[in-house]
This record gives sequence, C-alpha cells and structure tokens, in this order.
Amino acid sequence: MDPRALRKLWRHRGAMVGAALVLFVLALGAFGPYLAPHPPAQQFRGELLVDGLPVGPFEVEGFPLGADPLGRDLLSRLLHGARLSLSIALLATFIATVIGVSVGLISGYAGGFVDGLAMRFVDLILSLPFLLIAIVIQKSLDGAGIFFISVLLGVLSWTGLARITRAKTLQARSLEYVEAARALGYGELRILLRHVLPNIVGPALAIGTLMVANMILAESALSFLGFGLAPPAASWGSMLSESQSLMEWQPTLTLFPALLISATVFGFNLLGEGLRDAFDARL
Amino acid sequence: MTRYLLRRTAFGFLVVAIVFTTVFVLLNYFGDPAVTTLGPNASPEQILEFKERKGLNEPVAKQLLSYLGVIPCIRKDANAYHPDPEKRGYCGVLQGDFGESYLHHEPVADVIAWRLPRTVLLGVMALIVELFFGIGAGILAALRRGKTEDHLVMFGTYLGVSLPTYVTGPLALLVFCYLLGWFPVGGYGATPLEHIKHGIMPALVLGIAGTATYARVMRGEVIEAMRQDYIRTARAKGLPEHQVVFRHGVRNALLPAATMIGLSLPGLVSGAIITEKIFAWPGLGALTIEAIHSLDSPTVLAVTLLFAVMVQIGNLLADIGVALLDPRIRLES
Repeated sequence: MDPRALRKLWRHRGAMVGAALVLFVLALGAFGPYLAPHPPAQQFRGELLVDGLPVGPFEVEGFPLGADPLGRDLLSRLLHGARLSLSIALLATFIATVIGVSVGLISGYAGGFVDGLAMRFVDLILSLPFLLIAIVIQKSLDGAGIFFISVLLGVLSWTGLARITRAKTLQARSLEYVEAARALGYGELRILLRHVLPNIVGPALAIGTLMVANMILAESALSFLGFGLAPPAASWGSMLSESQSLMEWQPTLTLFPALLISATVFGFNLLGEGLRDAFDARL
Repeated sequence: MTRYLLRRTAFGFLVVAIVFTTVFVLLNYFGDPAVTTLGPNASPEQILEFKERKGLNEPVAKQLLSYLGVIPCIRKDANAYHPDPEKRGYCGVLQGDFGESYLHHEPVADVIAWRLPRTVLLGVMALIVELFFGIGAGILAALRRGKTEDHLVMFGTYLGVSLPTYVTGPLALLVFCYLLGWFPVGGYGATPLEHIKHGIMPALVLGIAGTATYARVMRGEVIEAMRQDYIRTARAKGLPEHQVVFRHGVRNALLPAATMIGLSLPGLVSGAIITEKIFAWPGLGALTIEAIHSLDSPTVLAVTLLFAVMVQIGNLLADIGVALLDPRIRLES
C-alpha cells in the first residue's frame, strides 16, 4: 500500500477518532458476549418487571442497565447485539466488496460491450428503492437468519464499489508497468490480479469502511421495521423498536441502543472519509 | 438533449417494470398471501376458496398480466369478472383498477387516495425544513469559512448523515413530545391546523439528513461562487457587501442546490416509511410497512408502482434541471 497515503491517514484527526471508535466497537463485538452477565434471552420476570414495567439502570443489583420490556437484562442484550449487528454488517460488506470489485475489475478491464452492460446493470440496481425491495424480499422468502440478511444487504449494495473499481481499473490499464507486463506476454488474469488489483485495494478499503456504516444502518432499519432477525435475537435495531412503546416510562431503553448505533456509524464514517481522502477514492 | 431524455425515460420505464415484476413475483410466487391473510387457524378449504376468488391459483405470469390489465380479469370478485370467458372484462392497472386490499377489504385505489395527501404534506414540510435550514447553514458556513460557525455546521452535517431517523425520531419524540410537551405525541389531528402541528416533529426528523446534504453542497457552491471574477467586479464597483454576497454570490450558488430537489425524493420516500411508523402518521409509509407485514399484495404492488414512478420522475427532473441551469453540461455522453 502507498506509504504516502498511510502517512496522510495518520495525520487525519477525524480518521484517528473514527479508528478509535471502530476499534472499541469491534472489541465490543468480539468480547462482548463473553462479558455479558446473563444469557440474552433469559427472562427475569420476577426481579426485573415491576407492575409489568421494566426496571431502570442501577435499580436491581447484578443488572446495571436495567431490563428490557420482556424482563431480560439490557446490558447482556446490548453486548450480544453488538456481535450480531457487526457480524451482519461485516459479512454483508464482504459480499458486496467481492461482487463490486469483481464487476468493476472485469468491466473496466474488458471495456466495450461487457463494460456497457455492467454499468447499465449498476444504474439499474442504484435506482431500486432499496428499503422497499429489501423488506419485500425478506418477508416473501421468509429469511430471518444472519446469513440470509447479510446476503440480502450485500447483493443490494455493491454498486458504488463497482463504479470506483472500474474507474481505478481504467486508470491502471494505461499505466506503464501494466503495458510492460502485457509486452512481456503475461496472461490477462495475472496482469489483472498482480498489476491492476493492487491499485484498487486502497480505494476499496475506503469505500468498504463507509459501507460497513451503511450496512449497520440498513440492518437496524430492517430490524426496526420488524423485518430483521427473528426474535428473541437481539440486534440494536430491534431493541430500539421494542423500546418504542415504553419510551415514556423508561427512556434509557431507547437511549442505549440509539447511542451504540450512532457511535458505530459515526466511527466507521469518520474512518472511511479519512481513508477516502488518503487514497483519493472519490468519484 | 431530446434523444438523451427519451433514452433516459425509456430506462426509467425499464427500471419501474423490473422493480414491479420482481416485487410481484416475490409476493405472489414465493410468498403466500392467502395463508398470511387468513391467519394460522384457517382451514384448507378457506385458503383454497380465497385463492380461487383472488385468482392466486393461476400461473404467476397470468396473474401479472391480469393485474396489469393486458389479459381479461382472473379475479372472481372483480366487477369485470364474468364466468363466461367471452364476456369477461379487464380489471388491471391500465383500467385504473388496483384490486382490493386483503387487509382493509376496500379498493386499494381508495386506500391510497386517502393516504397519499398525508404523505405529500409530510414530504413537503420536510423539504421546506431541508431547504430552509440546509441552505441557511451552508451560506453561514461558507461566509465564515474556517471559523467556529463553519466548524459547528460541518460537525452538524456529520452528525446529520450519521444519525438515522429511527434514532433521531424516538429521541425527538421523547424530548419534545413526552418530556417538554411542545408537540403532540404522534397521530394526525382533525383540522388542517392540527395536521401541521402534528407534522412539525416528524418533518424536522425526516428533514435532518437532507438538511445536512444541502448544507454541505451549499457551502461548497457559495465558496466556489465567491471566488469568481464577477464578485470582484461587484466589490470593485462599490456594492455594499450584503448585496455582493446575496445578489451575486448566493444567487449563483442556489442553482445547483435547486437541482438536488429531484434527487432528494428517494430519500424522502424511504425516510417516510420509518418516520411515519415512529410518529404514527397515517401516510403511505406506514401503510407500506403494514401491507408488507401482512403480505397484502394488492396494496404493496400499488405502493411499489407509485414509489418507483416517483423516484424515476425525481431523477429525470434532476437531470433536466442540471442541463437547463448549466449549459456547460452536455447530456449526450
């Protein structure tokens, strides 16, 4: 990777703040479930529900953040939710990256008819009403698993990456060392993977980071609307949705998941914008 | 230009057709509206009867064509249906018939006609919020570039695009409606004045992301405009600074922002789906969620068609706007 870009990134204050947030959230996703004091789906109706209403933070010992509307430990659900939300976002980003980079590489390198066709297809996907299509697919196919939702989100959001990969491939195609490689008689696949692809890594990293933020948002939106993981799974979006009816009595139920979603999205966005500046990945 | 617009329109039609067909096949082929509508306790006979009546036993392609109004009606409860295939009429979109809602048992067209004005009201209010605050903040940031105001606005736009409506919405509801009691808690009210009062909070929430976008674009455009030669000329001929800024700088910067209105339609549409749910606003967004949850396919299909067409028109208007306002841009490529 370009050392100049890395230096630029290091000096980018916003990106470093973002990186710190991202590291924190990733640690939460990796270790959170082991730190959770209780199983996320276990109900403590006796201790945690008073007159049917959940207790607040620090009211009952052993349950520092209080309970959710069904009498489950809020802290444990938030920690498990971190892993769920991040797993879906990262897996979906990975799927979108693989599709986007492949389409962009082939489109930019092949040119002509293939290129035209691929780019019209990208235009088409970009003009789909994302949320509407996503919830119709989720409901019709009745897919409420982590893998299904990741694939769904990934398949709908690779287009931006395909465009930027194509633009960078077009640039790289005319570089002298690529011409030299062709003159040496190397095969197309080798040129593509060894000489063109490295030019894409930086920009793809930038767009991918921004994409994680969007995936977190998309997954939470699906869960919030009731089209996410099947209960009793705890994702931050579904926790936000479940807390709506009790907002007046227990605002912290809304506050904590909202805070986590925002911090995560903010962190990935800051880091992503820094990466984008550093690697010049603007369209 | 004309050729470009024709091609663009044709592409728009293609997108609408693909979106519509996809949703149709998903709902009626992969999904099972009969079972979802009648509930888990329905007997096999009831389900069969429902499918017969709605034409859901026919091949999905035939259902699609009948829904569009290209082939004679297959829905037995439609007025146009006749047992004798010879005398059968059409009952599709082309005839203005969107079918009957499985959930509400009334024509989908009526359901939408009741809901659409409410969503339009919310959308227009949100757009006013976006333009007013977005353009204002953008101008402020540009004129105070590098100073505290600029940093504050830019930080605000960062937050604005990072915070989704399902985070800001519940928080706003909590603070301004429950704790402070400034606005009613959700709903729509009975009189026009009440509609607007109920709409202020959802419109502000729905407008946050758009406000941030407009502010960023406006800031860039004003900075760019203030660098131009005609600004120097205006200053040189001794115009007062406020006239230089507003009559020459801001006015030229407004054009690009105006073209973005078309582009903000998709955001308003998908934003409305979530915002309407949070604030119990009886519009199309809330209807969409409810209809998809219960696989009320006639309603979902009509809403999909409406949204898809609206988004395409928005894109087209944005393209035309860009071309008309800036003759340097050629649309041929």
